[in-house]
Amino acid sequence: MDHTAEPKLKRHAKGKRPSFYEVDGLDEAMSMIMVLASELSIMRDRLDTVETIAANKGIILADEIDGFEPEQENVAKRDDRRQALFERLYYVTLKKAQEEAGKETEQSYLDVLEQVAKP
Amino acid sequence: MNAFTPPQANHEMLVLGDHDDRMRQDFAKSLKQFTQNNLLPGLTPVFEGRVARKFEKENGRPPADRHDIRKGMVKDIYFQTYASTNRIAQELLWESVMDPLERDIDAINAKAKKLSDASTATLETTPDFKVPRYVSAFDIHCMPGGYSTSMSDDDVGVGALYDRGVYIYSMGQMGPDNDDMGRSACNYVRRNLADFKPTAILDMGCTIGHSTLPYKELFPDGEVTGIDVGGPCIRYAHARAAAKGLDVNFLQRNAEHTGFEDESFDLIVSHILLHETSGKAMPQIFKECHRLLKPGGYMVHADLPPFLKIGPFMQFILDNETYYNNEPFWGAMRELDQEQLAQDAGFAKEDVFFDTAPMAALEMMAEPQEEAEEKEFVAGEYAPGGGWEVFVARKAV
Repeated sequence: MDHTAEPKLKRHAKGKRPSFYEVDGLDEAMSMIMVLASELSIMRDRLDTVETIAANKGIILADEIDGFEPEQENVAKRDDRRQALFERLYYVTLKKAQEEAGKETEQSYLDVLEQVAKP
Repeated sequence: MNAFTPPQANHEMLVLGDHDDRMRQDFAKSLKQFTQNNLLPGLTPVFEGRVARKFEKENGRPPADRHDIRKGMVKDIYFQTYASTNRIAQELLWESVMDPLERDIDAINAKAKKLSDASTATLETTPDFKVPRYVSAFDIHCMPGGYSTSMSDDDVGVGALYDRGVYIYSMGQMGPDNDDMGRSACNYVRRNLADFKPTAILDMGCTIGHSTLPYKELFPDGEVTGIDVGGPCIRYAHARAAAKGLDVNFLQRNAEHTGFEDESFDLIVSHILLHETSGKAMPQIFKECHRLLKPGGYMVHADLPPFLKIGPFMQFILDNETYYNNEPFWGAMRELDQEQLAQDAGFAKEDVFFDTAPMAALEMMAEPQEEAEEKEFVAGEYAPGGGWEVFVARKAV
């Protein structure tokens, strides 16, 4: 998409968006979660389309997929991929643990700002 | 309610997008269905249990009306997630149509112009048209651009957005042409107003003509005209009617002051227009209807029921539209005495009444009419009790 071009349509609706939750940021987080859920759902729909098109051409992908016995190589690759997914999913939690270990605090951060600014 | 949605009837102007655009649209629709069928019912036990108890403890009395109920509910996490999900579904719905629309807007505008140029029906828009504040203050339904934002003199953008978006919004329950309100009101006129054969029909606040076209289909000899304050909607409506091979006039006019001569029409209708006007505009629209009607002519306004007819909890549910869906007049309109307003506009008391027009879409699915009429309002149903509330008034002969 060309983001430098003048918009041809308005993308945001006029009228203050209400806050639903009392916790700051949760409204944004909820909409992000739903957008992610939407993309996941669309991907599944697309796979369904692929299976149907293949079936119409005589290849029953759905059956082949359900009956597929992964090789050891597949299993290992998938295990690794799942662990990587969890690491991405829990990146803030993991970072917090690391900060505790490294004694990184808000104060230590501000201390650095002050030190760096010193002439 | 069945989750299956019949596909929207395709036509030359309809914007659907590619595979993933369409799946995004379906996702928004499914999320709306889930919210309505699975999350909304939970509001009743949540309210009757912990929310009502907490309200009573804090206020020394039980919640009395929809305002009290709202005060308690907005603090409850279950309601917060319900209302937030509903709002997000609404936003994703428009997003999912805007993506393909924005990609193709130049071609879509050109196609509309071509269709309209080839039609014999009147198309009239005014570049410096004064859009009333009750339409321009918010983008109603959170639809980006609202009804009236026009990017050029040929722009039909928000009209195209509305056509596809409203179909998703109504989860297909308005029928494949999104025209159930018009079709139901039209059936009502044919069945209940004996020997009344309208020849000049006006549809006020017609947006893109969803509900206007059934009048041309069911009264083919009549001259049908749709008016709306939104220029892009009027242009899109005209092109869409042309694409469907129907000669219907579309003019950018304000229903409060239409500019037509006295006694120009024998049937004036509107569909979900009144709740999108204002406390000042609505009485004026009734007066304008009285002026425009021929003696013996009818006005029929189809909208949702006044609050008097439903309990406070259901009022609260409906009123969420006021607060979360940019519908500033939704709640206030439902408290007005419409019968009195019609009398003030010149209609005789005995010629003014409310009635129910059974949903044409339900009738087509072979639900017996009596059953549809006797059903009570259930939260989550698209039209209360399977019918549209119609407000009818006849001008004295």
